[in-house]
Parts: sequence; C-alpha cells; structure tokens
Amino acid sequence: MDRLDIERVGGQGGFGGPNLKSEGHVDRARLSATDRAAVEALFARPPTDTPKPDEFSYRLTRQTPSGPQTIQVPERLVPAAVRSVVKDELR
Amino acid sequence: MYRCTCFILPKDVLDRLSHDKTFTTEQRKSLADSARVSDALRNVRVQAGLLTNVSQSIGAHLTSLATAPKVTVYDCKQTQTLPGTPVANPKASADATCKRAFNETSKVAQFYKQVFKRNSIDNAGMTMMSSVHYGHKFNNAMWNGTQMIYGDGDGKIFVDFTNGNDVIGHELTHGVTQNSLQLGYSDDAGGLNESVSDCFGSMFRQWQANQTAAAADWLIGKDIMGSAANAKGFTCLRNMANPADKKALAPQPTKYAQVTPGMDPHYSSGPPNLAFCVACQTAGGKSWETVGQVWYAVLTGSGPHPTMKMSDFANRTRQVAGQLFAAKPAIGAAIDKGWKTVGL
Repeated sequence: MDRLDIERVGGQGGFGGPNLKSEGHVDRARLSATDRAAVEALFARPPTDTPKPDEFSYRLTRQTPSGPQTIQVPERLVPAAVRSVVKDELR
Repeated sequence: MYRCTCFILPKDVLDRLSHDKTFTTEQRKSLADSARVSDALRNVRVQAGLLTNVSQSIGAHLTSLATAPKVTVYDCKQTQTLPGTPVANPKASADATCKRAFNETSKVAQFYKQVFKRNSIDNAGMTMMSSVHYGHKFNNAMWNGTQMIYGDGDGKIFVDFTNGNDVIGHELTHGVTQNSLQLGYSDDAGGLNESVSDCFGSMFRQWQANQTAAAADWLIGKDIMGSAANAKGFTCLRNMANPADKKALAPQPTKYAQVTPGMDPHYSSGPPNLAFCVACQTAGGKSWETVGQVWYAVLTGSGPHPTMKMSDFANRTRQVAGQLFAAKPAIGAAIDKGWKTVGL
C-alpha cells in the first residue's frame, strides 16, 4: 500500500494538542488521478502559505526510500478526498 | 420603443396628496408618513454626503461603503462550497443557526460602533458576511480573509459554533485585525492575532451581559462544548484567567518564556490572554471602558505590523495607556502588572 498518513491540526479547538486529535490514512493509489497529482505537487513544492485565522492545517506524511517525508499545508490547499479521511476524536 | 421612467415623489407632492380627501384615511396617513421618512432620509443623505466630503479630503481609503454595515447570511447546506445559498431574511429565519449568526453579528457591529466608534470590520461599513452549516459535522469556525464561516460541530466534541457569542466576536475580530494591525499568523504575531480575537470576543460577551471584569468567567467557547467534551470535564476551549486550566480543551502556556517558535497560535495566545485578563481584573470596572480602549488604540493606531513581537505589543500598550489615561495612572499600572505576570 502506498500509504499517506494525514493529521488535521489547528482550528479553533487546537487539534493536534493534548486533548484533540484528528487522524486518518489513505492509499494514494486509490485517489483519483487529479487528487494524486495534487498531493504529489504539494510534496514536490511544499507551499509556504500560512493558514488563514482559525483555518485547519494538514500534516501529510509519505514514505520515501530515504525515510518518511512530512509537509504541513493549509486546509484550502488539500484535496477534499484527503481531508475527508480524518476522524476528530478526544484523546 | 416605449421607455418607462421612474420618479421619486418630491416632499411637497407627498404633503399635498396626504391632504387629498379623495384618498382613504389610511392612504393619507401613509403619504404623510412617507413625507416624514423622506425628510429624515434626505437628512441622512446630506449628513452622509458631508461625511464623505470630510473623509475624502482626508484620504480616499476612508470613504465609507455604508454608515452601518449590511449583515448577510448564507447556508452552505453541509457542503464546503462558499459562500452558499443566500438566506433571504435571516433575522426571521426558522433556522436557528441562520437567525443566531445574523443577530449576533449585528450585535458585534453594534459593540464596535458604540464602544470603539468603529463602523464595521474595515471602519468603512464593510458588509459582514457569514456562511453557516459549512461542511458535514465540521468542528470549526474561521475567518477566511473576506467572511466568517461556521460549522455545525459533530455534537460530541463541539456543537453549533454560532452558539458561542464570544466565538462570533472572535471571528469578526480577525477581520478587524486584518484591516488594522495586520498581524500575521505565525510565531509571536500569530499568538497576538489569536489573543486579540479572544480579548475582543470576551469583551463582546461581557458587554452583552453588562458584566464587570470581576464577574466575567473569562472562558472562551463555553457555549460550544459537545456532550462528549462535557462528559470528560472540559468546560471551554481556552481559559483567559488560567490558560493552563486542565478543563480547557486547549491548555496554554502562562509565561512568554514557554512560547516556542512555530507554536500553534491558539496555544501561544495564552500569555497575552492572561496579561489582558489580569490587567482588566486589576483595573476593575468593565473591561471595554479602560483596558479594552488601550488594546483597541494599539490595534488600530499602530499601522501594519505583520511580524510584531509580543514585547513590542506589550510596550505599546504601556505607552498608549499613559497617553489615553494620563489622569488615571492606575490603568497603566494594571496593564504593566498584566504583562509582568507573564514575564514581559
């Protein structure tokens, strides 16, 4: 499986902090060609945009031959199919 | 080709018709009322015109869109397509979320006008636009640079975000910051950006309840906690009086020295939140009458500072307190105590 780990952080509630988490994963091969290309583009040239006030960010991690690669991008740049796999939970 | 031309009835015509006995009593009364309203509207237009002339002589950027902002609400119907479907009459909507978004946003506009003499988010009558029912069980609210966005919550962690009047005040204040100090959203500036929104969101909530700083609970997001969050003992998102509160979903640092580079602004806002709370409680009375005036003056009178350090903001508040409240040194002393509490 070509796994993409996804963590949603930030927002009003401070997801990613001690009490709230929002995580999921997806097989990149199962994404549409458009979404797969969008994700590849994010890893190839990680955006330097900061989130808008209270906007979520997403930490995306993929495995590479040299180890895990993680980027963090504002929600508005993440494809809906990737955003939708995370599940909000109290720790 | 026939062309239809519309005329606005002059006041003397309305007056004459209001005495014409060929009209019914009710019709004559309507005509008389229209004449009175027309007079009043004309006066408003004259005053607005005078204001525009003065504003334009100062600077074109100060010309107002409107003397009071329009408040609009859109329904995203659980999609993430913005802005959503316009809600025709949100003030009277059967949808409580739409009605609440309209009413509370209108009250925030009133708060800024009455307390700080500010005409909407941009001080020029900008339309205040909200989209509700954003996404499916979306656990967030945000300002996207041009409008507010509110999720319904999943019912477990959070409920409808429009339930929190401090949340609504918080989001709208991000727009005010964008149109004034222009704080960025990372590092010190990000923490200040979040803190300013918490400070003014909390002040709005206190103002609505006519509470003193001593009576306020200083909790952010108390009204949006869901059943599972409540069951676990969480009472709020953040506690300005005790940022490290274990009952807060997002417990924060209490000292500036604990803020680390890249920290989520919802956490780094802890120290400036505490500084503001201590200052207000020490000054006594109502937060928006003294310390809040200093915060507003720094926010709107400093020009753009997207990378402002917390120490610079703190020193600006000390300086402005000395100017605004020269005859009441206790206010400046209260603000100084607030910052020293957090190590600034």
